[in-house]
Amino acid sequence: MALFTFREAWRKKVALIAGVLTLAFLILYGTGLHFITRDMVNTVNPAANATSYYAMMQAITLFVMGIYLASFLVAGLAILAAVGSVAGEIENGTLYTLAVRPLTRRDLLLGKFLGLAAMLVIYAALFFLALAGLVYWQTGLIIPGLVPALGLFILEPLVLLAVTMLGTTRLSTLGNGVLAFALYAIAVVGGMMEQIGAMMESTTATIYTGVITSLLLPADAVYRRLVATVVDLMPAGNGQDLPRFVNPQMTLGPFGSQSTPSDLMLFYTVAYIVVLLALAVYSFKRRDI
Amino acid sequence: MAIIEARSLTKVYGRQVACREICLSVEEGQVFGLLGPNGAGKSTLVKMLVGLVYPTAGEARVAGYPPGDIRGRRQVGFLPENFRLHGWMKGAELLTFHARLASLDGRAARQRAAGVLDLVGLTGEGQKLVANYSKGMQQRLGLAAALVGDPRVVFLDEPTSALDPLGRRQVREILLALKEAGKTVFLNSHLLSEVEQVCDRVAIINRGTVVASGRLAELQDGPATVTIRLGGLTEELAAELRRRYPSLQLEGDRLTLALGDREEIATLVARLVAGGCRIYEVVPGRNSLEDIFVHLVREGEQACG
Ligand SMILES: Nc1ncnc2c1ncn2[C@@H]1O[C@H](COP(=O)(O)OP(=O)(O)OP(=O)(O)O)[C@@H](O)[C@H]1O
Ligand SMILES: [Mg+2]
Repeated sequence: MALFTFREAWRKKVALIAGVLTLAFLILYGTGLHFITRDMVNTVNPAANATSYYAMMQAITLFVMGIYLASFLVAGLAILAAVGSVAGEIENGTLYTLAVRPLTRRDLLLGKFLGLAAMLVIYAALFFLALAGLVYWQTGLIIPGLVPALGLFILEPLVLLAVTMLGTTRLSTLGNGVLAFALYAIAVVGGMMEQIGAMMESTTATIYTGVITSLLLPADAVYRRLVATVVDLMPAGNGQDLPRFVNPQMTLGPFGSQSTPSDLMLFYTVAYIVVLLALAVYSFKRRDI
Repeated sequence: MAIIEARSLTKVYGRQVACREICLSVEEGQVFGLLGPNGAGKSTLVKMLVGLVYPTAGEARVAGYPPGDIRGRRQVGFLPENFRLHGWMKGAELLTFHARLASLDGRAARQRAAGVLDLVGLTGEGQKLVANYSKGMQQRLGLAAALVGDPRVVFLDEPTSALDPLGRRQVREILLALKEAGKTVFLNSHLLSEVEQVCDRVAIINRGTVVASGRLAELQDGPATVTIRLGGLTEELAAELRRRYPSLQLEGDRLTLALGDREEIATLVARLVAGGCRIYEVVPGRNSLEDIFVHLVREGEQACG
């Protein structure tokens, strides 16, 4: 079943279209990167001197921006891929013949999830590595914390996939799409507010907004954690000609991760995916087809 | 034990009762026809029996298991009514996939897929994308998908609605072949002639309730008419008969009247002979399924209306 779903996405040229668009994005990003970094000193050793320290910070900033935009694309793909996977198949009548096969509804749904998840994981991983590769090519910077960051980047579409899968067991394709995108928008805006709040040190209210929206849909939280993983590996100042209080997070502004989600949040995210999937299975099991 | 058994199956959609306390049982090896006008609840009943729709009340068993049980599903094939198949696959590939879901392994699945493709008359079309199939071809493919797992029980919801006359005939032959092989077929249809030709037993359902069921022959035997060609009927006898059978009509030497049941024909003939008539011909009017159908459905409407 998972293989079937994966092949379905492949044959319907989802992969192709996403691939072409992504390529276009990467070319654009690469070109931009090239021109921005043309004049940069091509040494990104933070310990060396102030210029190279700033060069590294700039490179990281550019990478984080790329990731930020990429996560939109990946999230969009996750939602669109799953938005009608149950409701849509009922609407057009293709689910009947599958649903009477000797296969529990749970396996049917999880199979679909796994197929789509496999596609998204491959897509997100390629995307991430392409971005990191471009940055390395243009600036010579190897992104710090590459592997955990990759893991987090892959996690984000899975969160959206789980939400959308749950929605599609009950809502129409259109309704589910609207809901998923709205939730995602809320999470992004909430996250943004949290960061701005943290920057202005106006702690409580705005930060809580962020926490609450993250609990609702921990997609943005995953992104913030990713940024923190990358950026916090950079020393604050280089201790020689740069004072220690230069905080690399500050340069990222609202795209940064001043207020970083904790390990607990990460755990919550994984639990969130599992619980939503379980709910999706439960809801799919109980409905009439 | 019956291979399909429904006990008081009821399905309510909001305020709409689609099926009301339906009780049915079908023995293994029978071809069972479910008849009913549009919106009678036929599709709903079948969907409950294959475990797609959960009944509001009542229970069912198919092949010894409750509907939806994996072990039961291995033995069940289903051709839904308004279905589409995954258009991005090729015909043969789709059937192979279904065969694999029906727990055949790779090679066996491919062989079986090719086999059923031939069976439904799609030989040579297996390499086309399903999206490019015509409606009738899709229906044939759907039938092939229903049969691909070599099921013991096959549910077919209007299998011939999109087919050309040749296709209908082919489906009829397939049904008879299935019966030959000892399979059970549950056929939903409102094409009475089709049902008449293949079914052993039928049930007629109207507004969610079973209004008649039984062997086809038994149903056709119910209240009947008879036409008798005779000579020497006296006025006296005619008047007596008219009192007993108000529907009596006399045209020349032909006497037509409606009887309660078939046994009465013998009594009537005996009476006529005793009354001095010469009988040349007795033709019992066969109730066509259509008559029964229209009669029962009308009756139902009056009762409700
Ligand atoms: N999902 C549903 N939601 C609400 N009502 C439904 C649903 N499915 C069926 N019904 C209602 O249940 C009744 C029976 O429908 P069903 O599809 O079983 O009829 P049918 O006998 O198959 O008719 P046809 O000969 O047209 O195929 C109809 O009145 C229909 O409106
Ligand atoms: Mg129907």
